[in-house]
Amino acid sequence: MNDVFAADAEVGRDLDAVDWEATPLGPPEGWPQSLRTAVSILLSSRFSMWMAWGPELTFFCNAAYRRDTLGEKYPWALGRPAREVWAEIWNDIGPRIQNVLDTGQATWDQSLLLFLERSGYSEESYHTFSYSPLRDDDGTLVGMLCVVSEETDRVIAERRMATLRDLGSDPSVIRTERETLTFAARQLEKNRRDLPFTLTYLYDEDGRPRLRSSTGIAADHPLTATFDGGEGLVALAGPDLPTGAWPEPPRQALVVPLAADGFFVAGLNRYRPLNDSYRGFVELTAAHVAAGVASARSYQAQERRAEELAELDRAKTMFFSNISHEFRTPLTLIMGPLDELRTRLDGAGQEIRDELEVMHRNGLRLGKLVNALLDFSRLEAGRMQARYEPVDLAATTAELASVFRSAVERAGLTFDVDCPPLPEPVLVDRGMWEKVVLNLLSNALKFTFDGGIRVAVRAGDGFAVVTVADSGIGVSAEEMPRLFERFHRIGDARSRSNEGSGIGLAMVKELVGLHHGTVTADSTPGTGTTFTIRLPFGAAHLPADAVVPAREATTVSATAEPFLAEAARWLPGDTPIDAPPPARLAGNAADVLVADDNADMRDYLTRLLRSAGHRVTAVADGRQALDAVRAQPPDLVVSDVMMPWMTGLELLGELRRDSRTAGVPVLLLSARAGEEASIEGLEAGADDYLFKPFSAAELLARVRANVELARLRNRHARWRTALVDSLQEAFFVCDEDGAVIEINAAFTDMIGFGPEDLPYAPVHPWWPDQSTDAEAYAQVQEAFELLMQRRQGDYTIPVRHRDGHQLWVAAAFNHVRDPDSGRRVIVGTFRDVTDEHYAIQRETALASLSLRLSDAEDLGDALGGALDELRGLWQASYVVAVVFDSVGKPALTATDPSVTWANLPQERLLALRDRPALTPLGERDGGAGITLEHPQGTMVVWIEPSARRPFTEQDRTLLALLAGHLGQGLRRVHRIDQQRETALALQRAILGPAQLPAGFAVRYEPATRPLKVGGDWYDTIPLPDGKIGIVVGDCVGHGLQAATVMGQLRSACRAVLLQDPSPARALAALDRFAALLPGASCATVFCGVLDPGNGQLRYSAAGHPPPIVALADGATHLLDQGRGRPIAIRPDDPRDEATYELPPRTTLLLYTDGLVERRRQPLTAGIDEAVTAVRLGRRTPIEDLATEVMASLAPTGGYDDDVALLLYRQPGPLELEFPAESTRLAPVRTALRGWLERCGVDPVIAQNVLVAAGEACANAIEHGHRDLTGGLIRLRAAVTADALRLIVTDSGRWRSPQPGDNPHRGRGIMLMRAFMGEVTITTGNAGTIIEMQTEIAS
Amino acid sequence: MTTALTLTTGQDPDGVAVLTAAGEIDMSNAETFAAALVEAVPPSGRPLVVDLTAVEYLDSAGLAALFHHAERIEVVTGPLLSPLLTISGLADLTTVRTR
Repeated sequence: MNDVFAADAEVGRDLDAVDWEATPLGPPEGWPQSLRTAVSILLSSRFSMWMAWGPELTFFCNAAYRRDTLGEKYPWALGRPAREVWAEIWNDIGPRIQNVLDTGQATWDQSLLLFLERSGYSEESYHTFSYSPLRDDDGTLVGMLCVVSEETDRVIAERRMATLRDLGSDPSVIRTERETLTFAARQLEKNRRDLPFTLTYLYDEDGRPRLRSSTGIAADHPLTATFDGGEGLVALAGPDLPTGAWPEPPRQALVVPLAADGFFVAGLNRYRPLNDSYRGFVELTAAHVAAGVASARSYQAQERRAEELAELDRAKTMFFSNISHEFRTPLTLIMGPLDELRTRLDGAGQEIRDELEVMHRNGLRLGKLVNALLDFSRLEAGRMQARYEPVDLAATTAELASVFRSAVERAGLTFDVDCPPLPEPVLVDRGMWEKVVLNLLSNALKFTFDGGIRVAVRAGDGFAVVTVADSGIGVSAEEMPRLFERFHRIGDARSRSNEGSGIGLAMVKELVGLHHGTVTADSTPGTGTTFTIRLPFGAAHLPADAVVPAREATTVSATAEPFLAEAARWLPGDTPIDAPPPARLAGNAADVLVADDNADMRDYLTRLLRSAGHRVTAVADGRQALDAVRAQPPDLVVSDVMMPWMTGLELLGELRRDSRTAGVPVLLLSARAGEEASIEGLEAGADDYLFKPFSAAELLARVRANVELARLRNRHARWRTALVDSLQEAFFVCDEDGAVIEINAAFTDMIGFGPEDLPYAPVHPWWPDQSTDAEAYAQVQEAFELLMQRRQGDYTIPVRHRDGHQLWVAAAFNHVRDPDSGRRVIVGTFRDVTDEHYAIQRETALASLSLRLSDAEDLGDALGGALDELRGLWQASYVVAVVFDSVGKPALTATDPSVTWANLPQERLLALRDRPALTPLGERDGGAGITLEHPQGTMVVWIEPSARRPFTEQDRTLLALLAGHLGQGLRRVHRIDQQRETALALQRAILGPAQLPAGFAVRYEPATRPLKVGGDWYDTIPLPDGKIGIVVGDCVGHGLQAATVMGQLRSACRAVLLQDPSPARALAALDRFAALLPGASCATVFCGVLDPGNGQLRYSAAGHPPPIVALADGATHLLDQGRGRPIAIRPDDPRDEATYELPPRTTLLLYTDGLVERRRQPLTAGIDEAVTAVRLGRRTPIEDLATEVMASLAPTGGYDDDVALLLYRQPGPLELEFPAESTRLAPVRTALRGWLERCGVDPVIAQNVLVAAGEACANAIEHGHRDLTGGLIRLRAAVTADALRLIVTDSGRWRSPQPGDNPHRGRGIMLMRAFMGEVTITTGNAGTIIEMQTEIAS
Repeated sequence: MTTALTLTTGQDPDGVAVLTAAGEIDMSNAETFAAALVEAVPPSGRPLVVDLTAVEYLDSAGLAALFHHAERIEVVTGPLLSPLLTISGLADLTTVRTR
């Protein structure tokens, strides 16, 4: 196999088999490098890609593309023109490809609908793809690369999901059948792609199907008469079939039954196969329609029943309000015969006796309650008649207490009765006193679990004091004021039983009050309660007619029996009922959990429900009930409202709060009648509510109804689960704390975490690892905050699959109120956008890499920029590129300058070097590398990872793609580099002299960048007799063409001046030369010959703007003599020459018109500006002045023509270098004296300067070089219009004068300071510099 | 090569000893100049007239020799050296006459 195809064995083999000779590309051996690179990137990528190359856009693709898109066209398509491969969609994609080839701009299409013929039929498919341009080795556009993600599944799933969602979005709960069908039809109508038409039939009363609703088809279309039920696929034929959203009608329809109510027909999209997903969608749609019809029908039935129940309730309420007074008679008639029966049936079977016991006990209890109520109402009405008799209160109380002894002791409590005789009897109503004491004792037993109860009687000051104290749970301070209030019961109190009417203590208070006594309570929560009764001695406080003589003391009356019987039922020894359930098991049998603290009621309910065939579990309080439901949710919970430990309402709240038990129906039972209580129960979420007493039939009816309703509801729940699971997107529900409490199957498929470990508390296990990928972690954390705080939104985050690989998901979420629990939950979906994410990342990375490569100035810059890009992309700690040249020597380029070959992982780099090009090597945390061809050898790029960003499979693909691009880019930049270097060398050769004579400053600015040459030039030519030729010229035009002409003119001018130093004759020679040189005609040139010794300038100008001179005193002149026509115009005519004597300290400016030419201004205006600039700058050193002139004359936006500028000041600076020997001082002085004369300095100042300079030189000789020989001293003197500047430099070490040194040295420095305005002495390791400056008269 | 300097010893019409220098005095020949001064200063205690009128250049080394004999000499100079002798302070120690 040709190695260009080596990256994929299978597709590579098929590519290799293509007859390339027959294609315009020719055999692979002859392919350009860029094509080879593109093909190997294509084949090594796991992303779906195809590419087209060359004049016929020859088709290539990789394995992923073959699998996802090409289908049956493989391998036929390989090597064929793309137009032929994709003939059926060429109208769509052809123009896009052409656009890429025309503009070089990449395209991006999202979810484009294409009808592909890849599976033997025309198939609806959606693709997100990008076409990027491909270039050949010369950078010419020759093809395109397409990266594709097929999104058919997602797009179609979203569309179907939308339909299902719309079907479920019915805002009103209550609908008639008709409304339900109309609503559904409106939703189905919206999706005519999946459902080109639908028909909904319902059976009428005699079982015949009737078309009740249709979409996409007329109700009277002949087709509608052909369906009569059944199930499954039906082939469609016949004329005028509706087509839905498509050009062609459906070929098949799917018939789905609507439960027992009818059936649903869906015309099928012929462009999609009927797979599980499509079939599931149609079935879910039908299921929704069926559920809607069923719920409409069941709602109507329920409404009727609710009306019946309300009627019943009204009758019951009336009954209760009438009967309470009538209780006693029937009770008496029950209890009497019952006692008789108990006696008579003493020998009967155990079962009968047990039943009689239950009846007896509850008869007593009922009697006690009725008596208490009647007592109380009599008390209230003031009709209670007390009979006060003198009683030995201590003895009576002790006797009453003793009847409780066995109950108290059975409860494991101590019982302490301390009743010493009182000094006198107390007047009490015996019956009432019994109730007082028994109520208090019963109360104490009910609320005491540890410790004991104490009864004491004492004589106080005028009172008998009776206390009943317990070590029970106590009463909280805020409850104390209401303790004696009638019907008040302390909420949440832990007690042996929740039975009680709430009138016991109220009655105690009323009864004691009748005796003109007081009762008080003293309690500490957790410690106990003490009730204290004070009854006055004597009779003065009582009505005389109510006082009776003492009667025979009787034993404790029957009053005590109900109290004791009641207490006995609270205590251990009560046997649970575990009789086997009756055999009769009806079809609607349910699991029922019964919770009631009253054992009799519990037993009764259990028997009753079992008799109806239900399976019953019974528990004694809310806490146990909750545990039981959590362990195994029943079909129904029947619970009493008032229970110890946890009331029925609290139980209900707990059940509804937990999503696992929220759906369990609860039927509450309560003895507390009244409107308020029932509302409380229903608001808490009870499914139904029954008041005691209730009939067995009513209870069973309610149980049956609730179980059926729950089953109906569960069908909805199952439907919801199916809907959620059918979502293609991952679905999740979070609670208020962000814990994920529900997920669907797609979630598990996508992220790998299943429902078995729910709930997932934050930080969720799919968050990226904070320690290895801090950046991704922070991103997810930020998104999570968004999720918790915003009502709705979306975000895209990286997550980690359970198996460790990273993916990107787009999340959308919404806060909703859970209708079951009433709590806020967050519902969200994840969509896997990994492919899109990486496609965008790829495009972005490629684009910025291309930008870097195209912005690069040279090869090094290109590589450096590319490495920076790579480093930024992967947040690497550094990226390094190592180029191995032909002898294997490594050359490094790194983003971190401290990286050297020595501190790199050399072995891995060397191993990489020997791998095939463009095959990336990378580990998750161990760095990554790739090899590619660099113009100077094999290059290995190494990315050293940071902890912030691990390296994934997608990263490897991306790296290969980028490296391929980089290789091509570097080759391109390298070629440009070579061209540029050539150009620069040529430019340097033609521009101007590398070294200027002293006293000159030049500037050159070409109009065309990045060229460094143009049509203008300056030149200085040292002539044999010490004179200097000065030339400034301007060829027509600018840019490269003008530069070539300029180069020749410049050389020619140089040559003629050297031969004959006459400006006029030189220009004349140039005229003749230029006449033969295309493009040289009309150039303007100023040519001068300067004698720097005396400042004499001979000159001649060929159409050139006049040079400017500025004298030391500020006078200015233009050198406008010796003028003539531009070059090569009438070449045979003679030229004039003029002479100008440059006075000392005169500044001369030569320039080209680019300096002074301004749009819409005469040339003279620009020249005037230049004159001003030179006049003002005559005191400025020449080099600085050149910079100033260029800057001050530059138009806004820069020069738009070439500018050449040459400045000279007469005389040029004096520069001397001489050995540090005292004998050299005299010649130096002579030279300086002569130069000062040329500067026109007056003799006194000249003498001063001479002395100062002499002292500086003497110092340099004496100190600077005392210990050295052969050192050199440099003296430089330069002049401006009004100042003179001297610099003396030595290479030795200047020493400050020290005591003992020759005193006249100090005098030397004093003399320098005296004669020169400014003296600066700088001593450094390299030597000493003395700078001196002085003003000179102008 | 030392700097050009001519030294002539003589007497003026009043019989005062005169040392006439012509040329330039710098560090390369200051010692010669100093030696000539020592030679020319008369032992009698009468002052020596040092005529520098023909000296074109005098640096601090030459000045040092003059300062050394400041109390025994009178200096005659031209306008070229006069500022130097004043600024160096020699004129404050000895009589300097400018021609």
